[in-house]
Amino acid sequence: MNNLVEFFKKAFHIIVLAVLLILSIVMLGKSLAFNDYRLSRAVQSIVGPIQKSGMGMVHRFRLGPENESLVKQNIELMREQDNMFMVKDDTLLTVMSETDSLHRTSVRLYDYTYAHVIFKTVDKAFNYMIVDKGLKDGIQRDMAVLSPEGVAGVVTDVSSNFATVRPILHPESRISALVTPANQNGTVIWEGSDPDVAYLEAIPQHSEINIGDSVFTNGFSNIFPKGLFIGTVKEVQVGNNASFLTIKVKLATKYTDVYTVYLVENLFKPEIDSLKANFKDE
Amino acid sequence: MNNVIANILRFLILLVVQVSVCQHVCLFGYMSPALFLLALFLLPLELPLSLQYLIGFATGFVVDAFAHTLGVSAFACTLMMFARPYVVHSLNGSNNNKFENIDRPVPGVKDFGWIFLYTLTLTSLYEIVSVMLETMTFRNFMHTLLVIIGNTVITVFVILCIEYIFHPRVKNES
Repeated sequence: MNNLVEFFKKAFHIIVLAVLLILSIVMLGKSLAFNDYRLSRAVQSIVGPIQKSGMGMVHRFRLGPENESLVKQNIELMREQDNMFMVKDDTLLTVMSETDSLHRTSVRLYDYTYAHVIFKTVDKAFNYMIVDKGLKDGIQRDMAVLSPEGVAGVVTDVSSNFATVRPILHPESRISALVTPANQNGTVIWEGSDPDVAYLEAIPQHSEINIGDSVFTNGFSNIFPKGLFIGTVKEVQVGNNASFLTIKVKLATKYTDVYTVYLVENLFKPEIDSLKANFKDE
Repeated sequence: MNNVIANILRFLILLVVQVSVCQHVCLFGYMSPALFLLALFLLPLELPLSLQYLIGFATGFVVDAFAHTLGVSAFACTLMMFARPYVVHSLNGSNNNKFENIDRPVPGVKDFGWIFLYTLTLTSLYEIVSVMLETMTFRNFMHTLLVIIGNTVITVFVILCIEYIFHPRVKNES
């Protein structure tokens, strides 16, 4: 008996060693050979939250690149929206492109790209923004500019690397708009100094406009695709001119915060403009 | 007592650095430092052997838990702790017995050659065992070898740097 105790005292560390080695081999073998994930799940439930908070900290430093990739993904999604296409009956056209089940042909009408605002004013009487893309990146005059929230403005001038954007917050800005659900077409203009509010003009007095109604682009201008969000109706007044309403629109775009903008190109704009040039009265 | 607290603190700091930083470092695709080994290297040699094994196992387990390699580091660390007294013994040789009462594997007590060989031997043992256990195959052996050598080189380098930066002022031979 004494011998045995003596033996254990001497060999105790060898036993501990053996037990620990076998334990680690069992842990290793379970996950490798037997696909038994109970242990690793238990460990993960403790370790996971710690790693998550750690990754959250690291992630904050990578938000910039991730935002860029999300912007690119957004563009891919926007390019596939229905209002980007011109749908035509196949009988009149023999365009070589994919047709849907109704034998109609869809032709891409608008294309997207993006840019970042590097300079802007919002509190002046004539506001403008400058974005970091220009002729070299395929930016042209009269391209539509959108913010993540909605319509932002129109490109008015392009140099080789930069472009000037005239936001809605400019007295010369005019955007054809459609107010729903009344389905009345009008024009969004801006006057005054409030960067959040514009006016919707040329809505007949008989139309039923309620506060909170949405204002979208109507696609008449060849600049903006149809159905882009401009803002919501904030106030309705009967104007001096008795036949039209004066409607205040709360703009969707937060000009004070805007950084990433999307630019829309109408691929058929030269063609449409050449027709417009033939209008007798213009 | 002071010594115990210092050791525990060292373990905590090195483990946090290991799982938060070193584990994500991968120089050239195959050099990943195992910094936490330093805490094991600096453990007092006179601790009971079974306690040393347990500490090694626990340390390896924590590292495994964060690296999703359950068992790998635990095995390698336990084995390394088992080999440590023998490495120290063979490095001390027969003529160095006068340091027996302050036999600590730290700079100041030991010279650079001793520390270097001690770190290199134990690190390469740890890396060989852990990398082989992790890959579990002899296929593509050249790459496995490259990983083992790369990990060992970077680990030894980093550990030696840290050891000599935080040089403990031990009065040598006096």
